[in-house]
Amino acid sequence: MNNITFGRYTTYNTFVHRLDPRNKIMMMILLVVAIFFKVDSWSSTLIMSVALLIFLNIIMLISKVSFISLFKSLKAMWILIIFLLIVYIFLPNAAYNPDHIAFYIGTYGVNYDAFYQCGYIILRIMMMLMITMILTSSTSPMNLTYGLEWYMAPLKLVKFPTHIVAMTLSIALRFIPTLLDETDRIIKAQSSRGVDFQRGGLIKKFSAIISLIIPLFVSAINRSEELSNAMEARGYDPYGQRSKYRVLKFRWIDLIAFIIVLAVFGGILTLFIWDMNIGSVDLIYWIFGAKPLF
Amino acid sequence: MPVKVKNVSFSYLVKTPNEVKALDDVSFEIKDNSITTIIGHTGSGKSTIIQLFNALMVPSSGEIEVDDFVITSNPKKNKRIKELRRHIASIFQFPEYQLFEETVEKDVAFGLKNYGMKEPEAIEKAHKALKLVGLDETFYKRSPFELSGGEKRRVAIAGILVLNPDILIMDEPTAGLDPAGTKIVLDLIQSLHNQGKTIILVTHDMNVVLNYATDVIALKNGKVSFDGKPSNLFELSSEDLALEVPPLYAFSKMLYDKGIKVDIENIRTLDDLLNQLKGMKHE
Repeated sequence: MNNITFGRYTTYNTFVHRLDPRNKIMMMILLVVAIFFKVDSWSSTLIMSVALLIFLNIIMLISKVSFISLFKSLKAMWILIIFLLIVYIFLPNAAYNPDHIAFYIGTYGVNYDAFYQCGYIILRIMMMLMITMILTSSTSPMNLTYGLEWYMAPLKLVKFPTHIVAMTLSIALRFIPTLLDETDRIIKAQSSRGVDFQRGGLIKKFSAIISLIIPLFVSAINRSEELSNAMEARGYDPYGQRSKYRVLKFRWIDLIAFIIVLAVFGGILTLFIWDMNIGSVDLIYWIFGAKPLF
Repeated sequence: MPVKVKNVSFSYLVKTPNEVKALDDVSFEIKDNSITTIIGHTGSGKSTIIQLFNALMVPSSGEIEVDDFVITSNPKKNKRIKELRRHIASIFQFPEYQLFEETVEKDVAFGLKNYGMKEPEAIEKAHKALKLVGLDETFYKRSPFELSGGEKRRVAIAGILVLNPDILIMDEPTAGLDPAGTKIVLDLIQSLHNQGKTIILVTHDMNVVLNYATDVIALKNGKVSFDGKPSNLFELSSEDLALEVPPLYAFSKMLYDKGIKVDIENIRTLDDLLNQLKGMKHE
């Protein structure tokens, strides 16, 4: 069970780790938006993607996010990738150039553009994974919830219980590893009673899962009851005025990081607007004076 | 056939910055029909070693022989795991978490059904196992979730006993039980031992070690720091192993030092001591 390491918080003390969580959330949103700007021309897309990829790789190196766990999570997505490929190959698409036929399956011509589109979407999903991994592995769940709570502050005007939502969220995040440990323990306990979680037919598998799920639910419910009692015993009142032990501070390193991200975002946005208004400007052609490939 | 542990090492979180070496080149042997207690401080590797015995985890290096089963560091080479787990079964700490069926008898019979036994026969065996742990027929049809903590524990233990394993591993079976529940569990261990079963017991309670154990293995930082008889353990105790000496042993020792020559090696319970003292009076 311990192989679920995707985006788990790591206790390094890097530049990225020290940033204000509110800032990190905003920067994440900016970068995700930048990823999903779509331009028509092939070479502009390439330049945008490569620029973002290099930028994200640098941040990953700085924040010591493991590349191995990124590849592991990509490996887990192979079903999605195959599904996407099938959709892109067999759904008729007006954007495909009918001249770009790679090969025929029977009488159906498979377009080069289908592979290009599919590869592009996978690349963007990968970049989104990178961004979320950087955020979650460099920000402790606690700080993440504080950051989210801060963004929810305007909702207080309409009597939205932002504090309760933030508390629920932080408790839920806190208990994920605990529940994973618990699952591990129950799997081992049931394995010693002859349950085989790996092999067996559908019915056998189903009964194996039942023997895991029920004890897990029971213990989770017991735990939450104990926790709520403990919180009440310490005088927790969700509607009371609370002070904070950890105060979030926006410092000069945050400003620097934000300016860098904003510059990247601005660059991508400029490219995007250029592409929209002036039409498919072929950047490679423009920069090197070479002939466009497609 | 004994359980042989040969040069076993085990690490958690291999190839990560948080890698922990839980066992470091450990070798020992657990004799047939013994009550072997495994003691040691938190983090000494006790819980790790017992999970290796029935292949819930595989060692990083070295191998474990349980009768004709061999557990090696290569998971693919470990065959007949299911069979092994019936032969050497383990009861974990707080086993009541494994309960899930609607009735107590069904829960106890669950293990047998996993090994392909038909329901009526399994239920019948379940009743016998429940009797062993001191739960009568009024419990059979009740839901395991409405029982008290101690009763749940006993149902969970019955759920393993019903498999009739030759070697039984127990991880702190008495933790959190009241004195009456503790006595039932410990008496059960003694009676299983008398039936010829091998018991591997992880415990913190030195009184249990003195009263019940035939052999002791002490672990310290993933290495074996003591392997022998309980009485020998307490002789060197406090300085070397930082263990609490049981009051009975300390008292006997005090008597011995003051000139009342009791036979410390053979004092396991208060009755043993009393009998020895009575015998002396007549001399």
